[in-house]
Amino acid sequence: MSSASSLHGRRKAKNAVMMTLCAGAAGVGLAWLALILGALVYKGLAGLSLSVFTEMTPPPGAAGGLLNAIAGSVAMTIIAVAVGTPVGVLAGTYMAEYGRFSRLSTVGRFINDILLSAPSIIIGLFVYELMVRPMGHFSALAGAAALAILVIPVVVRTTEDMLNLVPNALREAGTAIGAPRWVVIRSVAYRAALSGIVTGILLAIARISGETAPLLFTALNNQFWSSNLNAPMASLPVTIFQFALSPYEEWQQLAWTGALIITFAVLALSIVARVLAGRGESR
Amino acid sequence: MTQMMTIEPATTHATRHATGRPKIEVRNLDFHYGTSRALKDISLSLPERSVTAFIGPSGCGKSTLLRVFNRIYELYPGQKASGEVLLDGVNILDRKQDLNLLRAKIGMVFQKPTPFPMTIYENIAFGVRLYEKLTKAELDGRVEDALRRAALWDEVKDKLDASGLSLSGGQQQRLCIARTVAVQPEVILLDEPASALDPLSTAKIEELIEELQADYTIVIVTHNMQQAARVSSRTAFMYLGELIEFDRTEKIFTSPREKRTQDYITGRFG
Repeated sequence: MSSASSLHGRRKAKNAVMMTLCAGAAGVGLAWLALILGALVYKGLAGLSLSVFTEMTPPPGAAGGLLNAIAGSVAMTIIAVAVGTPVGVLAGTYMAEYGRFSRLSTVGRFINDILLSAPSIIIGLFVYELMVRPMGHFSALAGAAALAILVIPVVVRTTEDMLNLVPNALREAGTAIGAPRWVVIRSVAYRAALSGIVTGILLAIARISGETAPLLFTALNNQFWSSNLNAPMASLPVTIFQFALSPYEEWQQLAWTGALIITFAVLALSIVARVLAGRGESR
Repeated sequence: MTQMMTIEPATTHATRHATGRPKIEVRNLDFHYGTSRALKDISLSLPERSVTAFIGPSGCGKSTLLRVFNRIYELYPGQKASGEVLLDGVNILDRKQDLNLLRAKIGMVFQKPTPFPMTIYENIAFGVRLYEKLTKAELDGRVEDALRRAALWDEVKDKLDASGLSLSGGQQQRLCIARTVAVQPEVILLDEPASALDPLSTAKIEELIEELQADYTIVIVTHNMQQAARVSSRTAFMYLGELIEFDRTEKIFTSPREKRTQDYITGRFG
């Protein structure tokens, strides 16, 4: 009786220690995140004004905004997603549907995993060699190409995973009613996996919107407004990189504000992705 | 396998429609999953406009046999059928057989309800559109007719735009039957259609099977022997990939020829 209760007491004590350790670790992790966000909001908000969205990046010592950098980021992201998404979705579809049992899928999945974890600076160097050197100059197109290469593995992976979650019974049902394979994929499998696939695309956008390294080697930067895709183009991450390292106070302030804008844009995308994914589950 | 002809009078409603003309004839059918032989030299003949039940313990090959009839097994590599399956005298295992046309003639309903992720209306219209170009009014009519035949119309007529997934399990299964009927097949394959349903929904499905056999040749795989006895006019008992006995249902359940059949239906194994 007494040994049983002491055993019970020891178990309770062990549980308390374990729980404290886990909670402490979670707290430490969250604390850093809170500190980063706090600093970002505190420093970034100070410089947030309408002019940030309406004026170009200024020369050193002058006031200005981030309009060309924001527009550049948006333009290159749109092109990257427009190019990367179809390739990624189709490749993911091959691996989950047509080539589910084929060797090509196994090899493709392995390579895709490597690409997924490849340092983005390598992608930047690759596009530099492939596009920037032959063309003889930096360009927004090269920047978009580097970002597209980053989009593809994310979309391939989520598309394949989401299609694999679609029960085989649903595919069989579509097939049993006489629908050809591509109709089953388009009308049944895609529909069942839609929210997951869209979530993957949003996550890919979130991933590339903060990328700096691949853009340094490809789109470089531009002090002015440019809509020429064949010329260097400004982007938020590269502008932040340049301004944050500068000795000029106005530039440093704009860097903080730019960082705040990116962070909240990514946060908003993540929330939309979560809502979509949640809706997919509850259906 | 020889087919015993019995002289017992048709006593159940289920046998009333059986005309006796064979709709599907299986001849020396073998089936392999990779190297394992799942069906061994099966031969049997399913009469038109009647209900035939396949019973037997798990893994006996009854679902495998059903899945040969619409060649759905071909979705997966390594599965292979040899022998002959004649539908109205034409071998459907022939390589030249168009699979989509075959599946238009032979519909299938699965164990778990599988409504497509679309509206109730679209669930039905989806299959119809694969084969026919109908006007909106004609399509509306087909959808209503299919839902009526599946005894679901009254429950869903006011919410045709709701998701098919919003229905209850029993309703979903009847939606799947409606979807199959809408394509106007000749044969309907039912793979344990009620095993995931509650008793009330099961009763509705069985009633439905009873009505549908006036127009369709129905093959049902079931674990539930009472169900086989209730709905079918013929029953095939399978064991370890072999067809042990195939006869009129009342014969199988009252005086089977084979001891193994007797043991199974009396619950001694399986």
